Amino acid sequence: MSITAPDAVSHRTDRRPAAAALREVTVSYGATDALRDCSLEIHHGETVALLGPSGSGKSTALKALAGFEAPSRGAVLLGGRDVTGLSPAQRGIGIVVQSYALFPHMNVRKNVGFGLRARRVPPARTRERVDEALRMVGMFDYADRLPRELSGGQQQRVAIARALAIRPRVLLLDEPLSALDAALRQSMLHELQQLRRRLPDLAMVYVTHDQGEALALADRIALMRDSRLESLGRTEEMFERPSTEFAATFLGGADILPARTLTAAGAGETVRAAYGGHEISVLTREDLPRDHGISLAVRPWSWQLADDAVPAPNPVFAAEVDGVQWKGSSYRVQATAESTGQTLHVEMPARGRAPAVGGTLSVTVAPRDVMVLPAERSDGA
Amino acid sequence: MLIRNAAARGAIWAVFGLLVLGLMASPVLITLMLALARQWTSFLPSGVTGEHLGEALSADSLASFSVSVQTAVISSALAVLLGTWAALAGRSAPAWLRQPMSALFHLPSAIPSVVIGLGVLIAFSTPPLLLNGTPAIVVAVQTVMVLAFTYSNVHAALEGLDRQQALVASSLGASPARILLTVTLPQLLPSIGAAAGLSLALCMGELGATMMVYPASWRTVPVSIFTALDRGEVFLAAAMTLLLLLITLVILALLALVRTGRGPARRGGGRRRAGKEGVGLAA
Amino acid sequence: MRAPTLRRVGWAAPPLAALLILLVYPMLQVVATSFDAVGSGAPGQAWPTVLGDPAVHRALLTTLQVAAMTTLGCLVLGVFLALVLAYVPFPGAGAVTRLVEAVISFPSFLIPLAFGTLFGPVGIVNTAITGTTGAAEGPLQFMGSVHGVVLAEVAYFTPFIVRPVLAAFQRLPPDQINAASSLGAHPGRIVGQVILPGAYPAIAGAGVLVFMLALNEFGIILFTGAQDVVTLPLMVYTRAIVTFDLPGASVIACLQAAVSLLVYFAYSRLFVRRSGR
Repeated sequence: MSITAPDAVSHRTDRRPAAAALREVTVSYGATDALRDCSLEIHHGETVALLGPSGSGKSTALKALAGFEAPSRGAVLLGGRDVTGLSPAQRGIGIVVQSYALFPHMNVRKNVGFGLRARRVPPARTRERVDEALRMVGMFDYADRLPRELSGGQQQRVAIARALAIRPRVLLLDEPLSALDAALRQSMLHELQQLRRRLPDLAMVYVTHDQGEALALADRIALMRDSRLESLGRTEEMFERPSTEFAATFLGGADILPARTLTAAGAGETVRAAYGGHEISVLTREDLPRDHGISLAVRPWSWQLADDAVPAPNPVFAAEVDGVQWKGSSYRVQATAESTGQTLHVEMPARGRAPAVGGTLSVTVAPRDVMVLPAERSDGA
Repeated sequence: MLIRNAAARGAIWAVFGLLVLGLMASPVLITLMLALARQWTSFLPSGVTGEHLGEALSADSLASFSVSVQTAVISSALAVLLGTWAALAGRSAPAWLRQPMSALFHLPSAIPSVVIGLGVLIAFSTPPLLLNGTPAIVVAVQTVMVLAFTYSNVHAALEGLDRQQALVASSLGASPARILLTVTLPQLLPSIGAAAGLSLALCMGELGATMMVYPASWRTVPVSIFTALDRGEVFLAAAMTLLLLLITLVILALLALVRTGRGPARRGGGRRRAGKEGVGLAA
Repeated sequence: MRAPTLRRVGWAAPPLAALLILLVYPMLQVVATSFDAVGSGAPGQAWPTVLGDPAVHRALLTTLQVAAMTTLGCLVLGVFLALVLAYVPFPGAGAVTRLVEAVISFPSFLIPLAFGTLFGPVGIVNTAITGTTGAAEGPLQFMGSVHGVVLAEVAYFTPFIVRPVLAAFQRLPPDQINAASSLGAHPGRIVGQVILPGAYPAIAGAGVLVFMLALNEFGIILFTGAQDVVTLPLMVYTRAIVTFDLPGASVIACLQAAVSLLVYFAYSRLFVRRSGR
């Protein structure tokens, strides 16, 4: 197989309207909004992950796209056409749900051919396309089985084949791997990546609460929180340069240090900031005025053990170890900074001895490893 | 196993056996003996005869069986149709209608059979709906008697279905009618079949409501059995009861055959729940 | 996806209409008839007459008494049978379970027919005994009393307890019982403190259901032929069909339906709501 570069860039030159789009969509149940003012475009050939904790609105966004939920405000577009008023049957979107929802009384072939029969595709063509879809997911040999005779992973593949048989422009996947065990999840993830490569023009929306799945599959990540789209961006950017505290903590994890600038600085310069009596030097990507409240985010693996031999550019925090998890290749240490009382999460290589609970850990962080975020904390807290 | 002591286990089984034999099996056995007894004036019947069974199959009684089967078949079919329809419509009905509708269709199980019989008798004895004196009034009363049962059976099976199936089916382009015919109904078929069979059995044995409305020209088997018993024809009554029992068992056996013939495919919580509450509420 | 509201309501209209005609309209007619004049009396006269009738009071008490005793008997018997079927299984337990399920679909009068003809006041056993002893009355008089009716009803309604309770037992995680016995509990304690509390909703639900069914039972009492046991359903039948007193029968029917509905709503409030989603 030839290796094609991830297709994330090509859609930018694509002149076609977005394969699917939400325009300021709000979905309400009575007085509560399950989704508020959500705008999102998914381009042809692109995978967008809707990532967020449960109840964040990501499934509602997907249901609005599919037509299972009617927006109380806003519009749903497919290929530039307004489909807000159309039923799911008229939209032609492929969808794979968490429970697979295979029809238990139909065998695999009947399940996969269901959409084609509903569209009155002639039987010979139906057969052809069912075979093609089954081959694509590697289930051709199981065509005559009933769903209950298949394993979870196999049912998952049939559900995908069923959604793809109608040749949708857009495929929606709602937590497709959450019912599988860890090992199976890894191999299904791999298969979804292969599928992605085989269908270069398909727009995919992948709803998940698992950042690993989002990082592995998505070109862009739409981070959902409290019924809103919190932030949206290319996957690497979202991970490397999160724009909010929530993005930093939910995607990758980070300790958030509330701070205030002591100097003004331009983008790419080093700014000095005060954090709980300490002075920290930070490389900023944006212009920052003096005496400005900011949040400093430090990834667990960005903390370094302070080494007496090398002078640290930043203060050394002494922290009392509260707990240690051995992760095989690393230790995950939870410790309380003695000066500020803040809980720090430190990932350190599993070389040498494990830090003892109750002992002291001295950590510091390099200026380029600190991410500067707008302050979110409410005043007086 | 809860009881490890063999003697204690034996004692428990003995008590269990006595209770099941004495209370559940003995009525059937006694009925069988009565139906076949030549005479029974001492502690045991004297001699075996097919005379009473023959009488139970004679013109008069046979007419009753024909009446009962016709009534039961029509009433069950109506109840299954209405119950299934109501359960399906209730599922897609607007939220404000769903709860009252479910309550209304469960209601017949809470109203005493004689009261239903009395109501139907009074209501259909005067215009605009004059059914008194016709077989239709018996059909009407038996339909109501089993309606709650068929409804709750299908309703419970529907609750057990994954709603996402219908959503996915519609995303694949299926119309509501197509979803109903190819996705929903096939999966309800076992519960509908079970409801139909048990409705038939219940209708065949229905007494309380039927006693209130039956015209002289349309006597069901239970009514004839009561009349026979009232006349002191115990052996005939027993013979007819035995035949009624056999017909009921044949219906249930056919039903089981149809169900197992389809394989264990139709599992799912729906049906198991259905049987449990359904039967209880109807009788 | 969502069809217009009007169509969704319209779809529900035919079965609703059928139920309104077949059930609601007749029930309203019963209420209306209960206010009709009896003979030359004033309209509405049936209510005070019936409610003041000591025979009706007795019938109400008898109905409640029979239902309560039946429920108690069925609960004791049914829970015992279900316990044995679930936890002291034996070869053939499956067949017994199916027998129990089949009994539910049998006609209710089967049991009083068999018991009554055998043990009734003028039943075979009594006749045989008086035939040999020459006594005026046989020694077995329980079938003609409340006890005979209760016996027949217990035999008929026990399966209604066994089925749901057995299902509840089978849903209980065996781990709980294993844990209890590993902690040293003897079988009685396990039954009393682990199994029964775990199945309590099913047991209580089935009990209320049997109470309601026993309140409304008609065929068994009619077939037992017990002269002393007059319940409300029997009274409705006698007044309406034998003495043609439709207003009087309607008043008793209203009374009977009210008691039954009260139990039913208590039942659905207590158990269906809680166990249902």
